[in-house]
Amino acid sequence: MNEMKLLRGLAGEMPLPAPADLGAARARLTATIAADPAAGRPATIAEATASDPDPSDGRPAGPPPSHAPKPVLAAAQLMYGGAVGTVVQLIVALVFIGDLNAYHLTVLGHHLSSAQIGHLRLLIITLVIVVGLILIALWLWMARAVRRGSNWARVLSTVLCGLATLELAGSQGVAQLSLAMLTWLTGLAAVWQLWRPASAAFFSRRRELR
Amino acid sequence: MRQRRGPAVANDAEVIASSRREPERFAVLFDRHAPYIYRYVARRAGSQVADDLVAETFLVAFAKRDRYDLGHADARPWLYGIATNLVGQHHRDEARQYRIGQATVADPGVPGHAARVAASVTAQATRPLLYAALVALPPGDRDVLLLIAWEQLTYEEVSRALGIPVGTVRSRLHRARAQTRRMLAGTDAAATYEEITTNE
Repeated sequence: MNEMKLLRGLAGEMPLPAPADLGAARARLTATIAADPAAGRPATIAEATASDPDPSDGRPAGPPPSHAPKPVLAAAQLMYGGAVGTVVQLIVALVFIGDLNAYHLTVLGHHLSSAQIGHLRLLIITLVIVVGLILIALWLWMARAVRRGSNWARVLSTVLCGLATLELAGSQGVAQLSLAMLTWLTGLAAVWQLWRPASAAFFSRRRELR
Repeated sequence: MRQRRGPAVANDAEVIASSRREPERFAVLFDRHAPYIYRYVARRAGSQVADDLVAETFLVAFAKRDRYDLGHADARPWLYGIATNLVGQHHRDEARQYRIGQATVADPGVPGHAARVAASVTAQATRPLLYAALVALPPGDRDVLLLIAWEQLTYEEVSRALGIPVGTVRSRLHRARAQTRRMLAGTDAAATYEEITTNE
């Protein structure tokens, strides 16, 4: 039996695509070519400026810009949504801090008295604000980095999502827990989008371009 | 078989060399090879992702054109190599494509000579087994088998495409063919095929 002949028989079932089928792919290539620093210049000029120490005309050097696929854009949008969610969480947390005494705070196994809580109020408020702002900055940073195609941002986002799972356990009250759960689910959805095949191909290509 | 170009037309290496100074020239390479790359990735990963994969293939190639070895006039192996790497990242789509192939009944084609009809029937009967065999193959072996069987690249071209020694191409092909044969062996379709090819 000649399995190669049989395989070729399978291949013969698919015709070559019509030019219209390749229009979108060609358009992406044309857009990338147009963004190339040497594009649009006659060859003689390109050759004459080959020794130019700054051929980019002030533009930052690096790989040509590339349009991120839909899953990556969706992930970035979700991350912006996560940042908004964290802002809301921060506001809710600050509102609840006004009634800190209602909480039975325990630090390292020691139950804090009302007096101790009152003494630590400023420290707790500062900590909540600082941590909240760091989290918001992380959301925005990750969103921008994944849109650019940084693979480290994809990995770091996944790790942060894992760590955020721990944060759920520390949430108190229905409002806080619901918000934390909603924000966590947003992060989880973003991470899922980042690991879809189209996203993987995009990050891989960006890595190769670097 | 692909039609060869006339002597007046620049070969792929010349196009790539000129595209380093005039990037617009790279579109020539797309127009020349994109339909074949499209068909290759569509066969492997499905038409739904083929458009995206073709675009990615040529974007990667464009970005890496400075590293292309101009000693090779034909850029097909290089492009197939990039496309194959990208298909490898879509392994779920590829497995789904083969499962669809297993389930779909092919068109028997135009009726004619008895042997041709029998061959067509045999091809249909072996089709699910062939796709099952492709799914079962290790990815590296499958890459070699399909580049040779479907795209008709030579051993040397596959070696260039995948960045592996020619000896490895041979051994992977041998392994892939043996495994495919084992999966087809003993079926009625295989027996019919043997009968047809023996009588030819």
